[in-house]
Amino acid sequence: MKIFYTALIILIGTSPNFSQDLNEPPEGMVLVAEGGFIMGSKYGDHDEKPKQIAYTKAFFIDKYEISNTEFAKFDSSFKFPASKKDNAAIVTWSQADAYAKWAGKRLPTEKEWEKAARGIDGRVFPWGNTYDNTYVVWDQKSTRGTSIAKPASPYGCFDMAGGVWEWTADWYKPYPGNKTPMEQYGEKYKVMRGGSNFNNHSFIRTSQRYYLLPEKISNYPVGFRCVLDIEQK
Amino acid sequence: MHNKLRLSLIFLCFVFVTLQIWAQKVNEFPSKTDPLHKKVALFDRLMLGNHWNEGAIMQHVIFPPAGLDRPIVGSQADCLDPTSEMLAAYSHKYALTKDNKDREIANQIFEAILKLEKVTGVSGLVARSFNKTDEPLWHEEVMWYHEWHGSTSMPGYRWLGDLSADKFTSIFYGVGTFWEICADAEYKKKAAGLLDRFIGRVIDNNFKLTDLDGKMTLWGNFCPDLPHQQLNSLEMLAALKVTHRITGKERFNAAYHMLIDRYQYDDHQINSKILFPEEWRNVGDDYHAARSLYMLMRYEDDPNLLNKYRMNLNRHWYDWKDIEFTWESTIWFVMVYQVLTDEDIMTEDKKQAIKDMWGFERRKKEFNIPQKDGSFKKITSEEEGTAAAMIRNYWFGRYYGIIDEKW
Repeated sequence: MKIFYTALIILIGTSPNFSQDLNEPPEGMVLVAEGGFIMGSKYGDHDEKPKQIAYTKAFFIDKYEISNTEFAKFDSSFKFPASKKDNAAIVTWSQADAYAKWAGKRLPTEKEWEKAARGIDGRVFPWGNTYDNTYVVWDQKSTRGTSIAKPASPYGCFDMAGGVWEWTADWYKPYPGNKTPMEQYGEKYKVMRGGSNFNNHSFIRTSQRYYLLPEKISNYPVGFRCVLDIEQK
Repeated sequence: MHNKLRLSLIFLCFVFVTLQIWAQKVNEFPSKTDPLHKKVALFDRLMLGNHWNEGAIMQHVIFPPAGLDRPIVGSQADCLDPTSEMLAAYSHKYALTKDNKDREIANQIFEAILKLEKVTGVSGLVARSFNKTDEPLWHEEVMWYHEWHGSTSMPGYRWLGDLSADKFTSIFYGVGTFWEICADAEYKKKAAGLLDRFIGRVIDNNFKLTDLDGKMTLWGNFCPDLPHQQLNSLEMLAALKVTHRITGKERFNAAYHMLIDRYQYDDHQINSKILFPEEWRNVGDDYHAARSLYMLMRYEDDPNLLNKYRMNLNRHWYDWKDIEFTWESTIWFVMVYQVLTDEDIMTEDKKQAIKDMWGFERRKKEFNIPQKDGSFKKITSEEEGTAAAMIRNYWFGRYYGIIDEKW
């Protein structure tokens, strides 16, 4: 099965896409190419199933989560200690969405977030399949690619494992083909991804999904990064 | 109504309410110069008097008026820790005194852990905590995640979900100790039943703690197919060993050996103590390792496995041998090491640290309490932490002859 997925991905992932070369990412963003990727997991929670081939158009995504300093440029009432200027801004979904719109961008869909984090080959973590403490942002004070080993995702994104969770644009709904019922599915909870410094290793897997009321983050540290659509040439 | 009568009634109401509030408090604290046994006795009264929530022991108590009409409102996420510590304390105490009053208290604390399962309405699913209330309490909004649920199996109760690996450890450590040295035949059977359902459910879910929604809890990962901390491998092995010992059921022994033979949990657990970088050393994690090793190393008789568990203990000892006694459980680490190795490591400094053990201070604090209209109201009230670890340390030390009764 693994060989099948790999062959399929190589075929899909290398299909020609002439527009992407024409697009240089804006500063602070990276390009994620159009095409298929392996999404979901067969070992994680039931809501990560089925493992599937999903597709996205090409898009740009922020290399880092939006920092306190960046968020305060949008919302001058947003206060934070001076020592935390580079920390990821912890905000509600509406705040994140408003910032993204203000910046001329939008929040990533779940598909986009997962592809940016794991590339096309179905890896468990942004850097590969092996867990290592030094790869993870365990401290919210230590964001911006400052984990010890500083691993980037295949597309060049940082801090997609640990640190703070990240909002996606999507409501918490079952994947196509998922038959396990959950009363939380629907348009009540938004999906957050990437885990935080306050949960176990499995939650920083690229396929892990977690649901949260969009305006009641309580003690969950949730930040975000933005996506920019690539205009058709 | 005459003004005089009205005033008298108001005064009587005031006196009644004041008495109601203060009647719920035990107020006598020891002094720092008291002998250890007196400090323990007084903190024990404070814990049983002020922290008792139908047998569950609360880690944090906020007194009225901030707690509204009850003194037990506080953050409750970790209350299985003091609950299991008091269960172990009274188990050790009963093993020494053979006093049925001590056993009865242990039985009641154990019953509260059963209630933590019953309140969820799902066999083997254990809550972090519960409150007897129809309505959400104010601290649910501000002190922990939104993991509170109204109970369907026990109407009139609310319970906190998202059980974690450290509370999992509290359960097998506390219940295991109770079964070993305190419970009578009836309670041994109840204890075995609880661990059978609780640990059995974890096995059924591929070694994951799963919540009411079927998803793995935030800190509930022991799964061989998912990346997890080395400490979690240790905790899972210890849980299976204890549960096999208590229930006698082969499935727990089979699961133990499957994790070792097929997934090398015995090797993985060796590095559960992170020594470097030094700032990653974590006494909180050490506490879970100490409880796991304490149960596991006494129950395991395979010399090869014991050797690997000893390697883990040695890595901890590298840090513990010079540890500062800033937290009561760090003193317990040293006692556990002595019990497990039979090495005489009790220097005068360490003995003095045990004699100096302390519980908590009652403090005044301002609480920002959410109101129903969405606003917040500042209320000054008093709060207490927990002395359960200190009391457990004392009876553990007495039981193993580390602490002299005259101290």
